[in-house]
Amino acid sequence: MAERQHKTFDVIVIGGGITGAGVARDCALRGLSVLLVEKYDLTNGASGRNHGLLHSGARYAVTDKESATECIQENMTLRKIARHCVEETEGLFITLPEDDLCYQKNFVEACTEAGIRAEIIDPKEAIRLEPAVNPTLIGAVKVPDASIDPFRLTAANMLDAKLHGADVLTYHEVTRLIIRNGSVEGVVMCNHKTGEICEAYAPLTINAAGIWGHLIAQMADLTVNMFPAKGALLVFGHRVNQMVINRCRKPANADILVPDDAVCVIGTTSDRVPFDEIDRLKVTPEEVDLLIREGEKLAPALATTRILRAYAGVRPLVAADNDPSGRNISRGIVLLDHETRDGLGGFITITGGKMMTYRLMAELATDLACKKLGVDKACETATKPLPGSEKTYRKRGLPTAVVAEEGRHGTLAPLIPNATDIDRAMVCECEEVTVGEMKYAVETLHATQLINMRRRTRVSMGTCQGTLCACRAAHVLCELAKTEAKQSQYELASVMAERWKGMRPVAWGDTLKEAQLMSVVYEGLCGLNQRAGKGKEIAQ
Amino acid sequence: MKFDTIIIGGGLSGMTCAAMLAKNGQKVALVTAGQSCLHFNSGSIELLGFQEGKVVERPFEGIAQLNEAHPYRKIKTEKLTVYAEEARTLLAEAGLKMKGNAEKNHFRLSPIGTTIPAWLTLEDLITLETTAELNGKKLLLANVEGFLDWPTAYLSDSLSAMGANVKTASFTTEALAFARKSPTEMRAINIAKYLDKAQNMADAAREINRLGKGFDLVLLPAVLGLAHDNIDLLRKAVEMPIECVATMPPSVPGIRIENKLRGFLGQHGAVVLNSDTVNNGFFEGDKLTAITTEKLEETRLEANQYVLATGSFLSGGLVSDYQTITEPALHLEVEAHESRTQWTSEYLFDEQPYMAFGVKTTDDFHPMKDGKTVTNLYAIGSVLSGNSGIKQATGTGVSMLTAIAVAHNILNQ
Amino acid sequence: MSEIQLKNISRHELEQCLKCSICTVYCPVSAVEPKYPGPKHSGPDLMRYRIKDAAFFNENLKMCLNCKRCEVACPNDVKVGDIIQEARIKYSTHTPSLRDRMLANTDFVGTMATMVAPVVNFSLGLKPAKTVLHTVMGIDKHRTFPSYSRQKFETWFKKEAEEQQKQFTRFVSYFHGCYVNYNYPQLGKDLVKIMNACNYGVHLLEKEKCCGVALIANGLSAQAKRQGTVNLKSMRRSIENRDEAIVTTSSTCTFTMRDEYKHLLELDNADVRDSLMLATRFLHTLITAGKIRLAFKKDYRKKVAYHSACHMERLGWIVYSTELMRMVPGLDLIMLESQCCGIAGTYGFKKENYERSQQIGATLFDHINEVDPDCVSTDCETCKWQIEMSTKYKVINPISLIAEALDVEETRRLNTVHEADKPRMQGDLAMP
Repeated sequence: MAERQHKTFDVIVIGGGITGAGVARDCALRGLSVLLVEKYDLTNGASGRNHGLLHSGARYAVTDKESATECIQENMTLRKIARHCVEETEGLFITLPEDDLCYQKNFVEACTEAGIRAEIIDPKEAIRLEPAVNPTLIGAVKVPDASIDPFRLTAANMLDAKLHGADVLTYHEVTRLIIRNGSVEGVVMCNHKTGEICEAYAPLTINAAGIWGHLIAQMADLTVNMFPAKGALLVFGHRVNQMVINRCRKPANADILVPDDAVCVIGTTSDRVPFDEIDRLKVTPEEVDLLIREGEKLAPALATTRILRAYAGVRPLVAADNDPSGRNISRGIVLLDHETRDGLGGFITITGGKMMTYRLMAELATDLACKKLGVDKACETATKPLPGSEKTYRKRGLPTAVVAEEGRHGTLAPLIPNATDIDRAMVCECEEVTVGEMKYAVETLHATQLINMRRRTRVSMGTCQGTLCACRAAHVLCELAKTEAKQSQYELASVMAERWKGMRPVAWGDTLKEAQLMSVVYEGLCGLNQRAGKGKEIAQ
Repeated sequence: MKFDTIIIGGGLSGMTCAAMLAKNGQKVALVTAGQSCLHFNSGSIELLGFQEGKVVERPFEGIAQLNEAHPYRKIKTEKLTVYAEEARTLLAEAGLKMKGNAEKNHFRLSPIGTTIPAWLTLEDLITLETTAELNGKKLLLANVEGFLDWPTAYLSDSLSAMGANVKTASFTTEALAFARKSPTEMRAINIAKYLDKAQNMADAAREINRLGKGFDLVLLPAVLGLAHDNIDLLRKAVEMPIECVATMPPSVPGIRIENKLRGFLGQHGAVVLNSDTVNNGFFEGDKLTAITTEKLEETRLEANQYVLATGSFLSGGLVSDYQTITEPALHLEVEAHESRTQWTSEYLFDEQPYMAFGVKTTDDFHPMKDGKTVTNLYAIGSVLSGNSGIKQATGTGVSMLTAIAVAHNILNQ
Repeated sequence: MSEIQLKNISRHELEQCLKCSICTVYCPVSAVEPKYPGPKHSGPDLMRYRIKDAAFFNENLKMCLNCKRCEVACPNDVKVGDIIQEARIKYSTHTPSLRDRMLANTDFVGTMATMVAPVVNFSLGLKPAKTVLHTVMGIDKHRTFPSYSRQKFETWFKKEAEEQQKQFTRFVSYFHGCYVNYNYPQLGKDLVKIMNACNYGVHLLEKEKCCGVALIANGLSAQAKRQGTVNLKSMRRSIENRDEAIVTTSSTCTFTMRDEYKHLLELDNADVRDSLMLATRFLHTLITAGKIRLAFKKDYRKKVAYHSACHMERLGWIVYSTELMRMVPGLDLIMLESQCCGIAGTYGFKKENYERSQQIGATLFDHINEVDPDCVSTDCETCKWQIEMSTKYKVINPISLIAEALDVEETRRLNTVHEADKPRMQGDLAMP
């Protein structure tokens, strides 16, 4: 750490979400030396708390043409450069008897104008394509929606940034900006694991901290008027649908159902929340009920499918007016050069936008950074595949764990050790995670804690929510990462608390049974409560 | 079909009650929907382990301070000690050697190395009277190579913190190496199945001996003695004291408790209806007159007395939907909070109110239906309200003692 | 406002799976075969992934015995075994071999074999023939093939019994199954004897096909479905003809037609399911209801060890057979610890499974040897083959034991007397 204190970079990127990782990658590809700083884990914020939807842009075609155009362009780009993160499911926009079928016409026209291939299909054809869809539908439009895994996408960007020389610090929170002579020259950080304070310097700092970017800007006495809009979602136990299902109407609550990996996700709600709540979001019973009731209208099977958990993220929207719902605020990208805007040099903010337009956001921010730093190198991210996405990678007839690894890591999967019994040993049976994959995650994907492992591999994200595998995973990780036993158990306790946090809003029926099993095992059998922190910590 | 008593639920509580009745000559039927929570058990039975987060040393003293609504408080204090002794006798008759006594708790060692107060523990598992007991001892933690459900680093850390000098090592044999070819099934139960064979055990002993000599105690994962009491074989062959430490589930000691009690029931002629659930009860006046089950369809099962031992939510004794909590077998009255936001607490390890929800009973453990007490029906174990079994470490004790109390009630009639 | 999420319902109760792993404790295969991923992983774990992508199907699932012990153990009623079998039906690209087809087509092979029974029995027992079966066909040489009867049960029935049935006024239909028809007609004859003594006539089904259990197990579910359709049609006819039930003497056939038809073959059997039952259940129910009475020989003595066949456990009907046997005064019934014998129909006949099959059954055989009974009893014919091959004990179906112990004359008298005389009856009456 002492060494790093004096280290100087070309760029410091604040925020380990998809935007920050994308910016770090873009900068690194253009030859800049980069430090990426994240206060907790990668994708801990909105990047890890959304639908996992690769919008076709159709959703915004009627209300926000600029976003729609951005979406379809990025959609086509990500299918190529991030193919191992994308599942080409296609999407439907359905009209239900309670909706106005006239909207469909406007919708298709607007899509066509934005360059989105939108094809009206017969409701019967829609049912054939997607048997889970509400059979009472009166209209359907097929669009190029897809599903995208934001955890994988972020990790791949981070990994490529590192391969091109970037440094990454997770669990380092920026506590202060170092400002001298009217310019940001570096950051002061607190290491959350050790409590140590350290510094890093760079002629340019890029604020890519999502909703927390508002607080970063405040450190420089600047106001970026952000609008924290909470969106709640529910994860179901297995996929009921194979295509994205949307409502063909003006965007509203709970009108998108996305198949993500082995589950499906319904969302979202949209409510303004005060800034002091963004670090401890709760999903309310009203939100849960609303998501179920509206979700059932898209796919009736949701009425009887077990809900694994509920979660919420905060959209980093930049407030333009006082719209109380936040729905009319543009999802558009906001790039602020604080030198021209506020007279503070060496500092830019990239915010707004959407998870799936991260690459474009990164390109815009990096273009500006290059201009400021006098670097003349063109952006390559629209054509250069992410690590793992070099080609479509698929082999059949392999052990199921290998199939899962190829799904998660694409062409990098062969780097996962699987020559020995221990490497092949399954840790998480719900999600097919082996010891070998955990090793790989420790070595290459910045996974040092159990919560990181979940985001890099899906360990404990399945039906049992870690009840049967989390202790196994924690102990394997303890030995791989050489963590102290007490610390490792504390992390295990905080991860179980985090799993419970998501289960609690839907804790009835089978989910309550699962929760009781979790307590039977971890508190009853293991006494893990004795190893939990006094502060009722929940892993981040 | 007619029986003296029908027990609904085949977990620890149901089996205990059935065993008490069967060994006293009753014709008993036990209806059980699959295997029980003993599969997650530690190998110990607890009376009362914690009170307000503090370790309880003398369980009976603690019980006297419990809330009136607690199931223990419905049993007379002087009877509790008698029933506790009967529970131990029953386990012994079933072939389960246990150590510990009801007057004073000992500690069991959990799979992650925490110490938890317990009343009875299977003889081959490690117990501690105080945590100072291992101070200065030379211990060998001998794991089976490739077995991931026994976190040796956690155990070693905890034991070292107790002052022990711990060496961690692992061993394998031809049979265990073969088992290990399975990426998913190298779990406690399959290892136990391999080690149940005498030859495999002899091989294991040889390999354990190779790990070193002169240890004060060798600790193994609890993967022994599934069908055969074979730890003695190992003890002879290894010539060092050997004890086991519970593993992550499935729990071999718990399965052993279940198997032995099932065996005892079989020997005493109890009829066990496996994998079946009660779907209807026929009531007349204040009595239950018959039940039917899913599998036996229209066949009516009749008895003089009935016992409900279906467990808590996890075992299906209680079910919840988004707004209500019910007892599904006989639709008995349930004690539970109204709103689902009150069922749970935000932090996992805080007291979770739902854990104490259950069937409302009289002091004789008779439940109520539609405002009336059902006089030939009893509820026992985790389906009872008023007991937070995990938080207080009372679950298994309540299961056994309420079962025995009710068995006496039935036999005295 | 409408209710939400009152119940989680999904195919094979997938949603009820808590991943508690209890099923893995009771899998007879994963304990001896590390290549088999175990019931939880093969079933509910991978079902979630197979819904996403068929590449998550693994051919090792064929090692599943379909014993359903995972389902019996599951406290949450997850149809673990059905999930695995369904995956095989849906995703397996493996084409059944000649051997598999031969083993699966029990009725076709049975018909052929019965025609030349002495030759077949002789040659199946010969070493050279066994070697050919072993090396060419992949049928294990250690296996003793069940011998084929000279005369099919159906033929016997038509010649010797059908005419007598006309004297009765109430009837059951009898689904005899392949085993009774080709290998062991005596069991069928025993049933006819008991039913007739109880004043019930026996009909055969208009048309009976093999239940299809072996076809399903060998990847021939389309054929199983066709045969199932024929059987269901015949059963419907029996019900229309007012036969009181369709009784069976094989737990596996019964289980297949009651449950697998619906769950795996997607045949709608709801209208016949309640009428289709094991003869022991039918008899027990009639006795309990006071509709029939059985009298037994006074000098009958037998120590019987009962083996709970896997599909009998799954049906949950062991109690009918055992309680019926307990009605026989001289019959000392000992319950063997419930576990799979390892044969699982045609599974244990395959060369690649033989060793595994014997390992699975080993502790059961030990237990039988310890108990040392006069005979073993079980409701499943393939368990009978396995136990008879692996121990020195004879295995007898409960129906045959009842027939053996039955005082036919007295039983007939008891069941034909006038209603008003009933309370005065004496003798070894078996009343529950």
